[in-house]
Amino acid sequence: MLDDVDLTCEAGEIHALVGENGAGKSTLAAIAAGEITADTGTIERSGRIGLVHQHFALIDRLRVWENVVLGHEPQRGGAIDRGAACAFVRDLGERYGLEVDPEAVVETLPVGIRQRVELLRELARDPGILILDEPTAALSPSEVERLFGTIALLTQRGVGVLVITHKLDEVFAHAGRVTVLRRGRVVEERPISATTREQVARAMIGGEIPAIPAHEPTHGAIAVRVAGLAVPGAIENLSLQIATGEILGIAGVEGNGQSALADALAGLTAFRGTIERPHSIGVIPQDRLLEAVIPNWSLLENVMLGRERATSAKASWRIDRAAARAQCTAIVERFDVRAASIDAPLSTLSGGNQQKLVVGRALVDNPAFVIAYNPTRGIDIGATATVHTELLAARNRGAAILLISFELDELFALSDRILVMTRGALRGEFSERRFDREAIGRLMVSA
Amino acid sequence: MTLSLVLSLFALALVRGTPILLAALGGVLSERAGIVNIALEGEMTAGAFAAALLSYFTRDPWIGAIGGVAVGAAVGFALGFAATRWRVDQIVAGMGINLICTGGAAFGLIYVFNQAGVTPQVPAINQALWPMVLLGIALAAALQWAIARTPIGLRLRACGENPHAARAAGIDPLAVRLYASTIAGGLAGLGGVFLALGELNLYSDGMIAGRGFIALAAVIFGRWTPLGAAGVALIFGLLEALQFALQGNIAWLPSDFLQALPYIAALLALLGASGRYRPPAAEGKPYP
Repeated sequence: MLDDVDLTCEAGEIHALVGENGAGKSTLAAIAAGEITADTGTIERSGRIGLVHQHFALIDRLRVWENVVLGHEPQRGGAIDRGAACAFVRDLGERYGLEVDPEAVVETLPVGIRQRVELLRELARDPGILILDEPTAALSPSEVERLFGTIALLTQRGVGVLVITHKLDEVFAHAGRVTVLRRGRVVEERPISATTREQVARAMIGGEIPAIPAHEPTHGAIAVRVAGLAVPGAIENLSLQIATGEILGIAGVEGNGQSALADALAGLTAFRGTIERPHSIGVIPQDRLLEAVIPNWSLLENVMLGRERATSAKASWRIDRAAARAQCTAIVERFDVRAASIDAPLSTLSGGNQQKLVVGRALVDNPAFVIAYNPTRGIDIGATATVHTELLAARNRGAAILLISFELDELFALSDRILVMTRGALRGEFSERRFDREAIGRLMVSA
Repeated sequence: MTLSLVLSLFALALVRGTPILLAALGGVLSERAGIVNIALEGEMTAGAFAAALLSYFTRDPWIGAIGGVAVGAAVGFALGFAATRWRVDQIVAGMGINLICTGGAAFGLIYVFNQAGVTPQVPAINQALWPMVLLGIALAAALQWAIARTPIGLRLRACGENPHAARAAGIDPLAVRLYASTIAGGLAGLGGVFLALGELNLYSDGMIAGRGFIALAAVIFGRWTPLGAAGVALIFGLLEALQFALQGNIAWLPSDFLQALPYIAALLALLGASGRYRPPAAEGKPYP
């Protein structure tokens, strides 16, 4: 996984650790925090090393204060002093701009607030170094700003912060140093002032970034028509249309009805209203492991999943394994899925390669309608470029594409038109690729 | 119905409900730590048999009682050890323990006493019946407080909800689960002692009669809280008591049906509870 890695994070600095998926960033973080043990090498530390995980390691059904004080509970008469615990959480929150209700149950909190809880939990242990693993993956733009505000406060107090990311914008906006990890080795380590985005990006992927195909204007007939859509508890009276050869981007903060919209269009949830859409559809679900794949199955089996009949010419009770193998191999080659073999369990692949397979499965039959929900969440630059290229290629072939994403950059790069989703309704329409980042950002957080 | 009849019915309900209550408290403890405990039945059996055996040979029922609790705890330790150190599927381990305990007790009867089905009469602690009933209720209240309010309780819950987060907070989930499973076995063993030496003065095959599983139903229907589980356990006790009171009084109802009443109630309770109550999130999942 890792090979002869040297990394130094100094007190009071923001150090960015970048690299593609599977480069070993999270492994390095876990070793530094003492969660796993390295085969060789040493870790010298001044003070505790705290780690905030990419997938928050909170206890969802406990209260905020219970999560924060777990393991070092203030006591009075044998019981936990709840008042003192809550006051502690409030004080800490005020000091670092991480206000949160200590009595709230974690599972009721939105993602951005949960991250504050995780930060509070680590800060409660007074770390000398704080490692943040992909801290902005699920945050809205304003939450990202706020997070880096907190990080700045921490560095002023002498805490060294190591940020693991693959968003180069953030690296160049906030970090003082950057270390690039590729295939378990450090390939570059410099002050930010002594490097450029292009240089870092090249170091990450070990070559040039694949260019995204040109965005030719296409005009087509309406392919998808949604009128008066309502999903209980999520969407009320939503209407939209997507033309053939059009990518409609849906911007918004997580939890504003995007899942219900995607599920209704894919036929996975009950709804009221009308949906007219082509029969042939490809879906890239939002949660890869939960909705898209069976991790212990092989690549081949995952590619066949749900498409058992697509591989044989005529309706048959038998799976044509030879044809399925040929098709799986074709997907693996076209979408650059790096795997030992198509018979290897999917779980042995890095997240980015798993996602490329999911995207390949959704697009291989040239569906007339594609739902892409965060198609590049948590995957690296190279894999992202592949996914973006293929989505644009599908559009250029005439597919109607609904792109739901929490990444504005992704929406701007791909969409022909953008709508903003808040509280189950669509607002604002930005078309002909005249996208106003600030206006969209404001709409995303408006009530 | 006269007042004295009602009072005696409730008194009987407390007595019949207490062994279920004790086992259910054990179930709550181990499940909140993340270990599914379907071995309660076996732990009760082991506790009851060991208590009768030790009481018979030492002629001291208190040694029997303490021995019964200890043997129950040992069985709980075995379940915990298999689940934490060997990462055995907890349902399979629990089933295995149930089979070993019931089979072992039946074998022990023949091997030690040279008779099948039942031990000879042994010295009992019938005078301690009511103190044990009160002890059970007091334990329920104490556990409720401990789980909700104390550092140990918070850590126990953390291990049942997300052992990885507990580990990151410096807690050893394997140790917590092992302790919880051991204490749970001791509590279920005490339930067995109550039946063998408290209510009766012998061990007989089948005397636990599914009470361990009814206790498990009480754990679920009581939403994994000590007081909730205790309340449900006492309701099952009331059904058993009703069954006694009604036997022979309703000519057209077969007594077999009355005897089945607590089990039918447990089944219906679980049907009603299924899907509505959420077990601890990491329950049954091996760590790491």
